[in-house]
Amino acid sequence: VLNRRCVEAAVMTGLALNCSINKKSLFDRKHYFYADLPAGYQITQQRVPIAVNGSLSYSLCIDKKMSQMVTKTVRIKQIQLEQDSGKSLHDDTRSQTLVDLNRAGVGLMEVVMEPDMCCGEEAAAAVRELQLILQTLGSSQAVMAEGQLRVDANVSVHHAGEPYGVRTEVKNINSIRFLAKAVDYEIQRQIEELENGGTILNETRAFDSKLGCTVPMRDKEGEQDYRFMPEPNLPPLILYDAKSLPANMNHQQVINIDWIHERLPDLPSVKREKLVEQYGILPEHSFTLLNEDGLAEFFESVVNQTQMKPKKVIGWILNDLLSYLNQHSLTVKESPVSSFLLADLLNLLEKKEISSTAAKRVLAELWKGEGKTPLEIVKEQKLELLQDQKELEQICQAVIDGQENE
Amino acid sequence: KVSVEVLDHLEHLALVDFRDSEGVERLQKAIQFADQLHEVNTDGVEPMDSVLEDRCLYLREDDVTEGNCTKELLENAREKVEEYFVAPPGNIPLPKLEERETF
Repeated sequence: VLNRRCVEAAVMTGLALNCSINKKSLFDRKHYFYADLPAGYQITQQRVPIAVNGSLSYSLCIDKKMSQMVTKTVRIKQIQLEQDSGKSLHDDTRSQTLVDLNRAGVGLMEVVMEPDMCCGEEAAAAVRELQLILQTLGSSQAVMAEGQLRVDANVSVHHAGEPYGVRTEVKNINSIRFLAKAVDYEIQRQIEELENGGTILNETRAFDSKLGCTVPMRDKEGEQDYRFMPEPNLPPLILYDAKSLPANMNHQQVINIDWIHERLPDLPSVKREKLVEQYGILPEHSFTLLNEDGLAEFFESVVNQTQMKPKKVIGWILNDLLSYLNQHSLTVKESPVSSFLLADLLNLLEKKEISSTAAKRVLAELWKGEGKTPLEIVKEQKLELLQDQKELEQICQAVIDGQENE
Repeated sequence: KVSVEVLDHLEHLALVDFRDSEGVERLQKAIQFADQLHEVNTDGVEPMDSVLEDRCLYLREDDVTEGNCTKELLENAREKVEEYFVAPPGNIPLPKLEERETF
């Protein structure tokens, strides 16, 4: 029986990716034998999936310094609902496979992209953006390391102007970084193979993260005949919009596409635009803010508590706060320096009570998380800027006098 | 009539063993029986997937209604290791056509 939340998540994701939602979609059986597929078939949507023909826009940095970004688009072929299989753990030493069926039957959403990407970096950027979108929508927490988001990469090479080459499918990619590596390795492997006069087999390969290469996968011999047939136990899935809403149906059984559309949250791209417009920061900055969980909220919180201009605050957030967090592998939520403390410190700087060098020293002290306020640290280390003109003159004079004596 | 290659393909796909000429004969009779469908004129008629095609798919609420039955489920297993079912390593392929004993 189909879970309503799965359908809602699929519709939201389809709308967020500019897809056409099929008001009537069908379910099919895909047959193959494997220990983690107890029924011998997987229910999926091969013929008429729930959403088709969308697009995903993502950005890439042209150079290493992140100062120039370019926007690219990958077309979404379709989004389909299907069942998950169980999980297999291969125990080669004892020549057996351990099967965990806990996740068998759980709903999955498969997003199929067209081959519009040309290298590991593009694939990684596209998947990262998809990950952010899914997290924003609440469709999935999309943590790759926990299998919440799984990516299979289909790679082929061809000379410009010629038809696409034979493609291989690369599985077992567990992070966005590995995705880029796997794609780039496979592209290289295929090019070398072809240049040496070989051919590419239409096979499934596994990415070995330790060795950084792809290897043919066991059990996936050649092409499979899945004998697709309509799933006889599931009638068509019917979705409605404001115009086609039926009058007397049970409310719980009705999914209204327009209703969902109206309630879509701001997508990452929209959030970035708003940050740039509201705070006058650079587009690259907005990317970094959204890339770290909680960083955008931290930034806004500091801006609201300080007189310092957002354009200056962003420097402290991205250069000082973020680099410290990264060095110590901390998340924003785990930061020993709260937005309140940082705002306090920046206020002292803004009021010219301390210099920016002094501010950095105070920040270093704050990282220790000993509970002192910025003002306390300033007093302790005597970092106050001297405001008194006469006192300054006396000090300068003393230094000059000291020099003359040498 | 059905060729040896098709029979071999079918046996690999469905893990069915046709065993001897009687089995193959039965298969061919079944195909002939089903071929009678071609006599019906289906021009302009949409294929029917299921007798349920005019119904709507029931949508279930996202509530947990059952579970926690690990013990009962594992009773089905001949072999287990720490709550995992034990299966042979991967798919053991059927022997190739030339090595087969049947037909």
